[in-house]
Order: sequence, then C-alpha cells, then structure tokens
Amino acid sequence: MSTVRSAETATPPDVLARPAEPHAEQAAGPGVAVAVPPRRGPARAALRLLRSELTLTFRRPRNIAMLIVLAIVPVLIGIVLRVVGGDGEAPSLITQVAGNGLMLTFVALSLLVQLLLPLAVAVVAGDAIAGEASGGTLRYLLTAPAGRTRLLAVKFVNVAIFGLVACMVVALAALVTGFVLFPVGPVTLLSGTTIPLADGLLRVLIVTGYSAAGMAALGAFGLAVSTLTEVPIGAVAATVVAVVFSQVLGVIPQLAPVQPYLLTSWWASFDGALRDPVATDVMTQGLLVFAAYTVVCGSIAWGRFSGRDITS
Amino acid sequence: MPSQWSRARAVRWGVPVAAIAVVGAAVGAGPVVAAVQGDPSLPDRTAEQLVADVLKAGHEKAPPAMSGTVVETASFGLPALPVPGGSSSSPMSLLSGSHTLKVWYGGDGRVRLALPGPMSETDVISTGKGEAWLWQSDTNTATRFKPAQGAAKADGAEPAQSALPTAKTPDQVAAEILKVAGTNTAITVENGQHIAGRAAYQLVLTPKDTSSLVKEVKLALDGQNHIPLRVQVFAKGTAEPAFEVGFTQVTFSTPAPENFAFTPPAGAKIQEKTIGSPAGEKKPGAAGAGQEALGKDTKKPRTFGSGWATVAEVPFSLADLSKAPTSEQGKHGGDPARVLDTLLKSAKQVSGPWGSGKVLQSKLVSALLTDDGRLFVGAVTPEALTAAAGQK
Amino acid sequence: MTTGEGAHEAAPPRVASRPASPDDCSIVSRGLTKRFRGGQVAVDDLHLAVPRGSVFGFLGPNGSGKTTTIRMLLGLMNPTSGGCEVLGRPMPAGLSAALPKVGALVEGPAFYPYLSGEANLRRYDAADPAADPRTVTSRVGSALDRVGLGAAAGKRYRAYSLGMRQRLAIAATLLGPRELLVLDEPTNGLDPQGTREVRSLIKEIAADGTTVFVSSHLLTEVEQMCTHVGVMRTGRLVAQGPIAELRDGHALRVRVESPQPAQAASVLNQLGLADVRTGVDEVTAELGAVAPERVVAELVGDGVSVRGFAVLRPSLEELFVGLTGEGFDVDG
Repeated sequence: MSTVRSAETATPPDVLARPAEPHAEQAAGPGVAVAVPPRRGPARAALRLLRSELTLTFRRPRNIAMLIVLAIVPVLIGIVLRVVGGDGEAPSLITQVAGNGLMLTFVALSLLVQLLLPLAVAVVAGDAIAGEASGGTLRYLLTAPAGRTRLLAVKFVNVAIFGLVACMVVALAALVTGFVLFPVGPVTLLSGTTIPLADGLLRVLIVTGYSAAGMAALGAFGLAVSTLTEVPIGAVAATVVAVVFSQVLGVIPQLAPVQPYLLTSWWASFDGALRDPVATDVMTQGLLVFAAYTVVCGSIAWGRFSGRDITS
Repeated sequence: MPSQWSRARAVRWGVPVAAIAVVGAAVGAGPVVAAVQGDPSLPDRTAEQLVADVLKAGHEKAPPAMSGTVVETASFGLPALPVPGGSSSSPMSLLSGSHTLKVWYGGDGRVRLALPGPMSETDVISTGKGEAWLWQSDTNTATRFKPAQGAAKADGAEPAQSALPTAKTPDQVAAEILKVAGTNTAITVENGQHIAGRAAYQLVLTPKDTSSLVKEVKLALDGQNHIPLRVQVFAKGTAEPAFEVGFTQVTFSTPAPENFAFTPPAGAKIQEKTIGSPAGEKKPGAAGAGQEALGKDTKKPRTFGSGWATVAEVPFSLADLSKAPTSEQGKHGGDPARVLDTLLKSAKQVSGPWGSGKVLQSKLVSALLTDDGRLFVGAVTPEALTAAAGQK
Repeated sequence: MTTGEGAHEAAPPRVASRPASPDDCSIVSRGLTKRFRGGQVAVDDLHLAVPRGSVFGFLGPNGSGKTTTIRMLLGLMNPTSGGCEVLGRPMPAGLSAALPKVGALVEGPAFYPYLSGEANLRRYDAADPAADPRTVTSRVGSALDRVGLGAAAGKRYRAYSLGMRQRLAIAATLLGPRELLVLDEPTNGLDPQGTREVRSLIKEIAADGTTVFVSSHLLTEVEQMCTHVGVMRTGRLVAQGPIAELRDGHALRVRVESPQPAQAASVLNQLGLADVRTGVDEVTAELGAVAPERVVAELVGDGVSVRGFAVLRPSLEELFVGLTGEGFDVDG
C-alpha cells in the first residue's frame, strides 16, 4: 500500500492519466467542461468500494441482529455452565470451562461453527449478488461502472471479513464471559499438556482465524449460489440447505470416503490448535480444502456473473 | 459476431473448469506424483535377502527415532456397527472406518501415541523411565501405569532380537523362516514403492490354500532402515485392501522431548495401575482391545487346519455376552453386546449334517455360530467352517 | 438513415437523413440484435446513430425494445449479434473506459431503502473507480441540489415519494462530469411540475454540450426538447434522424374552409394536388410542390368563397401513429 501511495505522490495524476486515456480530451464533446478525472490507483478505488460494502454490511439492521445473537449465545452457554456446571458426567471440555474461563471460547466456537456461524455467513453471502439484483441496485452499480470482476471480488472480501468479524464476536463474547464468570489460568490442552495463559490466548487467535477461513470458503460457495438467482432468500436457503445436507453426509459412517471432501468436515478441525504439538498437518489440510472451495466456487461465480445478462 | 460471443462464453467457463481440474489434480496428485517419481532406486532384493536385512536391522541396532502419522482403514464388509464412527477416540471405533494415529518414537522406550478425536484426544505416553501414562481428554482422566515389581526391566518395546537364536546369522534365520512359510505361502518382493514419501520394498505374501479368504498380505518396508511402513490385507475379489495400517507421513528424526513427558493437568482424575500383576490388567494398547473384550471369558480354543486356513473353535454362549456388564469403555465407544446384536441380525441361517447355526461373513473373516453353542472363526470361506464343524 | 428495409408492409414513409459519421456519434450500433432464450426477438438489427451533442428521443410504445437496447448499450446485456459503441468504445469491452463518462437511469430508480438519499449517491459514487473520493461531498450535494432534493438529502430512501425517488435517480446520473446521459423514462412518476423541471434540466445539461439519450413512450415529453429522434416498433428502429427532417419528410397539407367544398375540390384537383378530401365546409389536400399563395389565388379566381385557408404541418403525434402503427399515450 505504501508503495502505491509514494508512487502517486511522485507522479502528478495527470501524467498518470494520459497514457491510459489517450482520447480523453479528444473524446470530450465540444464545449463540454469535462475535467479529466484524476486517475487513482485501482487498488485504492477497490478499497473505496470495499469500504462502501462494509459500511452497508455492518450498518444493515439484519446483519447487526445476527452479530448480536452470535454474541449472546456464548454468554448464555457461560451462564448455563456456571449455574449447572461442575457436573462430572459432562464431556470434559465443558467441565474444564468451570476450571478455566478461556475454554469457553473453544466450547462456544465448536458449537457455533456448526450451524449458527454458517447461517450468518450464508445470509450475507447469499444476499451479496442476488440481493443487489432483486433490489435493482446491481444495474446501477454495474453502470457506475463497478466492473463485474471487481464487484465480485469486493463482495467476496466483504463476506470473508463479515465471517471473520462474526468469529471474533463469538470469541470475544466467550472470552469476556469466561473471564467474568470463571477463574482463568493456565490452559490444559486436549493432549493433557498445560500451557500458560498468554499461549492460550494465542491459540484462541489461531482457532478464530481458522474458523474464519472456513467461513470464507462457505462465503465463496454462497456467493456462487448468489450469482445464480435474483431471489436472495433462495440463495441463502440453498446455501444453508447445502451446509445441513453436507453435515448429514458427514455423520453417515458409510460415507466416510466422501467426508474429507466436504467443507463442513473441516470446520471443527480447529481443535488441532488445542493439541500439543499443534496438529499443523490437519489444519493445513483444512486450510487447503478451504482454499480449494474458495477457488472453485469463486471461479464458478465469476464464470456465471461475468457473462450474465442483468435483467433486473 | 455470434461466434465471438460464444468464444467469450467458452473462455468464461474455461476458468472454473480449469480451477476444478487443478483442484482435482491436486487431490489426486499423491498417486500421480508417486508414479511420476518412478521407481525409487533401491537395489533389487530377493525375499530372502530382504528378510535377512530386516533381521539384521533389528539385531544390530535399535529402531531409529521417528515420528509420523499412521492411518488405519478397516473395511471388513461388516454391517454398520453401532459404534460412533470417527466421532470418538475410543478403541472400539477402530473397527470400522478410517482412523488417524500419531506416533512419536524417541528410542530408549520413549513412545507417544495420540489418537485424536473431535475436541478430544487419547494419548499413550511411555516416558522411558519405567512408567507410562494413558490420558483421555474425554473423561479428563490420566492413568499411570507402572511395571509390577520384578518385571521392571523386561518392559518396553524390546526388539525381536531376544527371540532370535544368537548362534545363527540373520541370513540363515531368514532362509529358515522362508522355508517354513513357503509351505503354505508364496512370497515375492515388489521393488519401487513410495510410501509416506519413502522408497520402500514390499513383501507380498500370497496364501496357497484356496479356502482362505485372504488374497494377499502386503508388507511395506522402508528401503533404508527396514522399518515396516505399511501392512495391507487384501480379501479375495476386492481391489481395495480390507484392512490397512500404515504411515501417511513419517520423519526419521528425534522428536521433541516434550512428547515423552507427561504431567497430569490440574483438575484431572488420576488413576494408578500396575502392569504384569496377577489381575492381568489390560495393556493400554489401542488396537486389539475390542477383540479382547469379545473373547475375554472364553476357554481354550480348539483349532482345525493349519496356516492361512486355520479355523478356531471357541465355546460360546450368547447369554454370557448379553449379560456382560457394560464396561466404562462401552459407555463411550459402543456397547460390545449391541455390536454383536447388530452383527447377528445380518447373519445367515445354515444347516448341515453337523447341525445348524448362523454364518456371518465379512470380506476377510467368516464366523459360524452353531445352535449348540460353538463358535468357529477363521479367515476362510463358510464352507471351510462348516467342514470344521462337521469334524467334531 | 433508414432501417428495416421493406420488412413492414404498412411501413410509413421513412425519414431519410445523412447518416452521421460514427466519429461524431456518442452512440453507434450496428446490427444490434437481442434474442431471448425463449426465441423472442426483443431488438432486431438495430442501426442506431446518436450524434454527439444531440438530445436524442428514443421513442416507442412499451415493450418495443427500448429498455433492452439501453441495457445492451450500457453493457448490462450481451447482444445476440451485432455490436455497439458508446463514446467511441465498443461495448461491453470498453465499458470501464466509457461508463464513467456516462450517467444512466435504467428502468426506474433503484436504491437501498435503509440508506438516506445522500448515502445512496455516495454508494454509487464509490462503485465508480474514476470518481474522486475527495470531492464526493460537493458532487453529491450539487447533484441533489440540481434535482431539488437538497432538503431531503438526509431522509431515508424508504420515506421518499415516487417523484422524489425519480429525482434521486436523475441526481445519480449527475454525480460526475458526463459526456452522455442515458435516461430511460426520466419523467415516470413525476407530477406535471416535476416533468417540466426535468425537461428544463435536460435542456440545461444539453446546453453544456452533453449528449442526452432519453427514452420515452410519451411523445409530448420529448417533442419539445429533442433535436433528434429514433422510433422503435416491435424491436425495430423504424425511423431516426433530426426532428426537423422528420417533419419535412412529410407532405404538408392545405385546408380550405368554404361553403362550396365540391367546387374548391375541383380547383385543387386542377392544380394537381394529391389526396383531395372533401368534408363538411372544408377540403384538405396534399400541398406538394405548389405554392400556397397560388392555391389561394386560383381558388379566389374561380369564385370559390374562401372563409379560411391553412397550411397544415403534420403533428409529430400523427407522424408517430403512422410510424408505429399505434398511438402513444398522449397525456400519460
């Protein structure tokens, strides 16, 4: 980014504009006071569009409501564990929360990453193109001209950032609840090793980042679905149904050979960060699966969107 | 003009098609890369030389320090078992599906095995200082195993050398082993295998007995230090192995020492057990525990036949099993009685001059449960079982 | 420039005009055709030429293919065959170079209901990579002022009336310096006062030298401001050219008011006027090459009492009824 800026300050915008726009002056009509628009870096223009997307996403009442729900669930889990907790029969991870508030983050993420987080991401992703199409705003964005490829890329980054924020909201809400309701100290990993609190927080960061990557892959899928229709609800529903269907496939033992190829099978693999040593092989594989889904779904979305007739 | 548009369309859809192709290629790259790498340049070895090499390796030095990932895949062709698929790190779950096990070996009896489950892990750690730990994160339990007094020294992964008559050279022993095995098994060596990124030899054992359900057993040995890298058991009439356990990734370097140390975390339940005591505590090994649970109370089995076609007769009563108390293991890893129930439901009723009973056949193992309470088991065809039942 | 050679049996006299050279045109299309998947041909072999600096009325009844044409011009749709150039750039390949200089209103306003009018304009401005974010506040402000929405800038779009929405959509086309405005039915939903305002705004913009391409099914709306027109009928461009030429291409008629219509008719016939029609106390006929003053002189000379005499210029309305085979909604 800094290099772009320095390059721009070094060269006057007009000079930059000329080679790109040889006919700029010539094209201007007689007597038209069309100033040659100062050309800015395409990266900065894309960032401006992204900022506009983010403002739209995070100001939208519906999205804010989803983030609030995502923040409330970890708090509720924490309160329930505080009130009911201490029961030795429960799975150990839950009982561990009673001993260490930090574990609430992992419990909350492992629960929410299965349905509620994907749901939130599916809503934003499924709405991304189909929502603009159904509102008619897509035609004005494209004649602005936003550029189809650029718009799609910005939409994807926007969905990915929303996924990251959603994961962070869950993690933070769980972290704060855990710190308030439970004692906090060194963290026991799944492997039985105990690590210092600071190290534990680092693992929270890894887990959140990994979950966000999984959500970004789902976002790419939702975006691809979103380019296929002009009905946003349809795109959202199709994405959610695909997630649920994939999770059903994931628990049928006979389909074990298929499961490594399902996106949903890898979301929970963030537990690799809770092992000692960190199961980098599993998590790397998970990230590769996410990347593969993103590339394939992203290219399908591009193939569809770049040539589609906008009729809405 | 239309052609221009259709060309543009072809380009547009070419991108996703290319993306899918690239991802598909990356998924299938493992075998392809192995194929492209071609034959690893291992010197040719006869079966005899290879077995001698293995014996020498075991005889002369301890196995090298290593770490890796072992994947076990069982596809016995059993009906769906009420075992929580990959969802548990319990040993019972190893009976079906695919499972991953992490292994660290540091020499001097220092071993760590980790069986990861979703948000859980079972670890077995042998510290090399005469104690071993079993950690089950599911139950937040750490179990400490100590050898019984007197048996202290003999514990651990003693290499096969003690069984090896020291008076003979490995070559002689290899020749003898092959001679004995050769009576019922054809043994060949495949060179040029890539397993977990290592060049390997593969010993192929093919049963000569036609009634055996086993087509062949493949044992892959590392080309350099002759550590077994993979075992595959192929059933007759199938291309995929019915059972496979092998490294998918292996590194021959000394793992970090932290792997072999264990301090029970605060708040964990701690149990103490002694190995080798008259109570006959189970070893904390993962594999085999399930089978043990099934055949725990049985009396001495009788055998028929020999070699690959051996059939075992085990006195057996259904009532015993259904009465069997649900162990702690059953709670987490599927109740053995329920597993058996499911198995019996899929059994086939047969009868003959020997009586009548139920035959259960999987890809690799057949079992005959006669109505008079005998159980015949073998890696053979059901016909061979009924023949054994008729022998009385 | 003529189109649709001999395809229409009821084809009215076409307006012949010097084809504008493509270099002087803001919009050029060659054989532009759009066939939908169902086989329906929405736009058929369109050869459009919109001269630079003109106010081009793109006329035709609803469903005649105007909006589909506009969507192809703006790169929203791919033509089935043929092509078009906007500001000298082929579409849709040159879209990113051409469209920043084009303001477009397509098929009515579309905005984010939960955003204010101002925020909506900022949103569309952000989508234009050529727009300068440093000047966005002043540009949005002046665009809103120009359409008279300055006071309602902070109000949510959801609360806007139909007319305000339409004005906001026009404001969105004025966000930057434009060489071409494409306005699809810009006065839809506006009251007569609003329609007048929009009309004077378009004239104002055109006076700056901006080409305005305005589509309408309302003839009266464009008649007063257009320099050029193109007329669509069921996907075909049946006429296009300068509005004066369109008028001139049509025969003038004379109307003679007289209590002796039969006598008057025979005089007109003698003069060689065609299409003489006799009515009650009046006769009309095509003037042709005969000078009107000669007609009057002959009539008076023959003793026909002439109570009234007029040379009739055909109204555009009559012209387009002839061209399109159906009437426009005269008063919307």
